[in-house]
Amino acid sequence: MRLLILTITLLALFGSLGGCSRRLHEKDVLEFVDQADNAARKRFAPDICALRGKDFTLHVTFHGYRQNLAPTNVEMDRKLFCKEAGKFSRLYQYLLERKAVEVNLAEDRRSARVTSSYVETLPYYEPDMMPRTPDDFLEFQVVETRDESVIGFEGGSLKFLSTDSESHQTLVPKTSVRIPYL
Amino acid sequence: MMLVLVGGFAAHRYLSRHDAPSRDFTELELAGADDDQTGSCYSLGTVLIANRTNDGGARTWTKSDDGAWTLLVDDVVQSYGGPVRVYQKFTFAKFGEQVRLVSVDGSKGANMTIKYNVDELLGSPNSLRSTPVDRCLQPGATGYHFVPRR
Repeated sequence: MRLLILTITLLALFGSLGGCSRRLHEKDVLEFVDQADNAARKRFAPDICALRGKDFTLHVTFHGYRQNLAPTNVEMDRKLFCKEAGKFSRLYQYLLERKAVEVNLAEDRRSARVTSSYVETLPYYEPDMMPRTPDDFLEFQVVETRDESVIGFEGGSLKFLSTDSESHQTLVPKTSVRIPYL
Repeated sequence: MMLVLVGGFAAHRYLSRHDAPSRDFTELELAGADDDQTGSCYSLGTVLIANRTNDGGARTWTKSDDGAWTLLVDDVVQSYGGPVRVYQKFTFAKFGEQVRLVSVDGSKGANMTIKYNVDELLGSPNSLRSTPVDRCLQPGATGYHFVPRR
């Protein structure tokens, strides 16, 4: 019995000490954002998904290229987000450029709010068309996005806890952009 | 330490045991949408596999207090305005040796009548000639919309 109490006490002590040392620095957050961007560039869903917390939510407001249509709003939980990330691997051409990033650490340094801007360039497939090959498209879509994410610790490592994203889409001729096949 | 590990494992097993219906439930024959609730000749599991409910979208089962199971099939599709979430929710309940579709919910614009959805669900196993339940393997067996193998 005494051994059990000692074990629990030691576990609690090490746990709290471990927790105390978990203080975020801007450098940690920037490295984490770099890691997330690289996972997106690889378009490998397990890596993308692994960086999201178990209760992760994504809210997307998307302004399509057709300006006469109202923007769409999509709310995803982690499960749906990870399924969507899986569809990413179908893309053969994808370019992700981060234009800006700003980190605001919480007072307790346990979490951070990250605001970042991205430009993504990827093939645009008409919604009601089934492409015969990945190259079966006429235009690239250029999507400018402003993300606001909350990052924090979960299970001892950094994760995205939520992301609120607003995107604006434009189309450009396929011949005007050169993106290597990956 | 062992106590913590065993306790944690037991708690995890207890909390995660209701993630999906048991085989006893999914192996029940799905009832048709006629007044007599004629058996369709296909088990619920076969119907769901034939409809590829696990492809593309995210699939989540939840159990209600009365023992019914609700399957949420969630997906995001591209529209001309941008990504749009589409979902369908099917609630199945056990009645004797059958399982019946008792309610349907879905995104705006989806047909939510039971008959329409039962017919839609049964379209795939019938066209794919999926394996029927044992009683329909016999010559002359009949079922709701069931086309026997020749």
